[in-house]
Amino acid sequence: MTQDKKGQYEKIQAEGQYQIGADIPTITLNEIGKRGVRRLDGYEKASGNAIFTRDVKLPGMLYGKILMSPHAHAKIKSMDTSNAEALPGVRGVIRYDDPEIKGKMLNGCYFGPEWVCPDIAGWALKPIHLVLGDEAWYEGQPLGVVIVADTEDIASKALRLVCVQWEELPFVLDQEEALKQNAPVLNPGADTNVVAHPADERLVTKKGDVDKAFKEADKVIEFRVKRNAHLWAGAEPPSTVVRWRGDNLEMWVHQQQPYHAKMLISEWLNLPMTKISVFSLYQGGAYGGRGNPANNSENGMNILAALLAKSTGRPVKVLYNRRESFYGESGDMMVGYFKVGAKNDGTITAVQMKNIFAVYMCTPGIEHFIDNTRIPNLSCETVTADVSKGPAWWDRCEQLPNSLCLTLVFDRVADALGLDPTEVALKNDGCDGHDMSYLSEYKKKHGFPDRDSLKECIEAGKKAIDWDEKWHAPGAKMLPNGKMHGMAFTWDHQWDDVRGTGSAAIMIENDGTVSIIAQQSDIGVNPWTAYCQIVADELGVRYEDVNIKPFDLDHGFALMSPDGSACLCSNGNVVKKAAKKAKMMLLELAAQKFEDVKADALDVKDGLIYVKAAPEKKKTIKEVVTKAMPMFASCVFWTEAPVIAWAWHTQGLWGEAMETGRPRLLRQAHFIEAEVDPELGEIEIKKVVNVNDVGKAISPETVEGQMYGGTYMGLGRGLSEELIWDEQTGVRLNANLLNYKIATMLEYGPIETIIQETGMGHGPYGACGIGEATPTMIPALLGPAVYNAIGKWIDDYPITPERVLKALGKA
Amino acid sequence: MSKEKDTAKHEDFPEPVSEGKIKLNVNGEVYELTVQSDWTLQYVLHDKLGFNSIKDMCSGKGECGSCTVIADKRPILSCMTLALECNGKTIETVEGLAKENHPLIEAYIKHHCMQCGYCTPGFVVTAKALLDRNSNPMEDEVREALAGNLCRCGTYPQHVKSVLEAAENLRGG
Repeated sequence: MTQDKKGQYEKIQAEGQYQIGADIPTITLNEIGKRGVRRLDGYEKASGNAIFTRDVKLPGMLYGKILMSPHAHAKIKSMDTSNAEALPGVRGVIRYDDPEIKGKMLNGCYFGPEWVCPDIAGWALKPIHLVLGDEAWYEGQPLGVVIVADTEDIASKALRLVCVQWEELPFVLDQEEALKQNAPVLNPGADTNVVAHPADERLVTKKGDVDKAFKEADKVIEFRVKRNAHLWAGAEPPSTVVRWRGDNLEMWVHQQQPYHAKMLISEWLNLPMTKISVFSLYQGGAYGGRGNPANNSENGMNILAALLAKSTGRPVKVLYNRRESFYGESGDMMVGYFKVGAKNDGTITAVQMKNIFAVYMCTPGIEHFIDNTRIPNLSCETVTADVSKGPAWWDRCEQLPNSLCLTLVFDRVADALGLDPTEVALKNDGCDGHDMSYLSEYKKKHGFPDRDSLKECIEAGKKAIDWDEKWHAPGAKMLPNGKMHGMAFTWDHQWDDVRGTGSAAIMIENDGTVSIIAQQSDIGVNPWTAYCQIVADELGVRYEDVNIKPFDLDHGFALMSPDGSACLCSNGNVVKKAAKKAKMMLLELAAQKFEDVKADALDVKDGLIYVKAAPEKKKTIKEVVTKAMPMFASCVFWTEAPVIAWAWHTQGLWGEAMETGRPRLLRQAHFIEAEVDPELGEIEIKKVVNVNDVGKAISPETVEGQMYGGTYMGLGRGLSEELIWDEQTGVRLNANLLNYKIATMLEYGPIETIIQETGMGHGPYGACGIGEATPTMIPALLGPAVYNAIGKWIDDYPITPERVLKALGKA
Repeated sequence: MSKEKDTAKHEDFPEPVSEGKIKLNVNGEVYELTVQSDWTLQYVLHDKLGFNSIKDMCSGKGECGSCTVIADKRPILSCMTLALECNGKTIETVEGLAKENHPLIEAYIKHHCMQCGYCTPGFVVTAKALLDRNSNPMEDEVREALAGNLCRCGTYPQHVKSVLEAAENLRGG
């Protein structure tokens, strides 16, 4: 079928498909890439005007609290809620054994014949299937009972009046312990704690012949690494607000994928989606942590709130406090065993790893060796043991194990061979076993500039941190202040696995300003500004004349939610395509209003439509899209057919880490300078240099913001962020912001952000993602930095002062 | 292996509640209201008076700084302050700073001091208190002043630029 004969729907489909190849801009970039563009959410957020879910307060609203298990593994034998129900101010109670909830499934739902929930990864490995069950598999798991009352305080007090008879069951916290023969088996009906997602083919990777390569290698090294639990710890504790209006349901959710929340609640309540409104307001930190719409902290919370709002006839807000919000560990709780072979010149010939995860996510650790190295022999075996800890989830981001493994292997090899780690990186850079000539050929074939991204990043970074002067042999430099000086480097590909699906419309309002029509949640990564920059440049209008109000909608066009490693890089294409179409429509209409001019003879600049051959002939957009109706002496709208164009864009296979035929071309390099106090074990970060080749920085300040923020989160993860469980009870000991140590402003030295723009990204205008790169790369780098300082490897993350002293034999 | 245990404890509810009348001057306007003895200033400002900027990241434990307000010229954690203790006090929140176009607001927008934005009002208020007592702070003084405010998104470096720029604007520089 030729393009012309395609139906309207088929055209949209065809236009929406991602085409591999360089996206060289065909328009003049005025707003795109400009500094000083006023960020769209800036005033609301700086002035205290921004409304978050936590702020929503409706007339007559009740407050709901859910019981959280005080035990690591326990079953409710019996529960007496009579005292709680008698407390003045308590308005409703749902118990696990109430008929309306008993045995009702939580995770997953069928939508037609299809299983639509992300019933995958960490959460799928837990036997938590009920909305309100009677068994807990980790301390802090919601179960048993939910109570609504006039105030949060009364609801909390009522929960403490619930008398539960628990049957405490054996638990296990460490994944290697969980794999031992005598370990208690956690999953009911199972005979082992080994759990794995049945659909995941990435549990075992084998490429080439590692054994042969080890025999032929000049050097073979072996080591072990342990990464302990850390988590997203978003700023705003989760909550959900639900109100019934007749048989219409309204919800305000702290979720990254509100439309998905609507699908789930619709299925659960058997209520048509058209009767449900779900709004996602500003979200105080999510980082993927509020991006699992199926789990008990999202869908479960929504269901309970909806049921209680129905039974009480009042709006209901169910909320978590800070301690309750400490769930959803990142998917890199792992112990890894490595064997690596290399030649004396730094060529890595074989990498073998066995990674044992606690509540596995979806990245086994080997993938970045495939994605961006030429190492021919790879082997990875992944084992996952269920433990009595909360399920993992992708928290900025699921690539943490891959980045950890890549960094440690490269820095260990460089050390073992006495080579500069930047040289080892360049020696092995490539793609899927191929060297750089393979990538060069690919770039030429697909129109990309053939630049050596890694080399450019390394050169810029080395200069910024004064690497050639400052880098030294491990443990070799004591400073006059008595501290040991350390330098470290790591690298990786950029986060250009742009994938996702979104739609949006561009509408030219009757005054000539431009609206982007689409719903999207906000997690602070500032894509809205970038959409407006793109649309302004594509249409030829001023940035100030473009706006998007994603919270106004809860249906219709939907931009890809800000998660899944894709936001601007897929949505930028959506708005770009829609803007191009809207511009064509606008010029078609304009052609009718100029004399003897066809649409292709016109263009738009600064909001004025002009004849290309005679620029003095021009009209404002407002003049074109409206027609004056003087007979009524008043303004009559839509006397012209409205200029509205919509587009859909899809790229990548959702959920797959690599898309065949689209190798990663961009690289990033990170450098740390640290000082370690050999007496106190304290690590002082003197300087961090991040070099990110983002292809094209559409909003440079936003890119820098992500690099700054990612560094703080990354350093925290590497140095101080560790969720700790009491070995005797399985209870979390530091589920609060005082003892779970996230960075403050005083923590670290200066961070230098260097943006490279080689245009080799797969996103719009050659861009790629930035939000996840730095926080995922930086944590692993603390190991090599401390090693370079003290000459001892610490492979037990985070690298706390205690672990430094232990490595030095002083603790 | 299993054992039985009662973990929930019974307490005497409802507790006796005492109340008191207070008068607050918030952002130049006077509010008179009756508060219970255990209500915090944060609860009163956010939940009772509708000052939306008063945030809560740590569940009222004084760990995050996101509920900071200026009370009689000093930045305080409103979650750690009983409303009854604030009778007669002059309170400033970021809503008031926005209303008077305080240069910090524009500087914060210009330098992208916000990502998710949840902690931002607390920072602006803390920075305002700093500039009130020190019109020309050094970088280290800005960092020290803002060290009690947590930003999980890690916007810290941008705050320093903004506060210094706002200080300069206030000095007429």
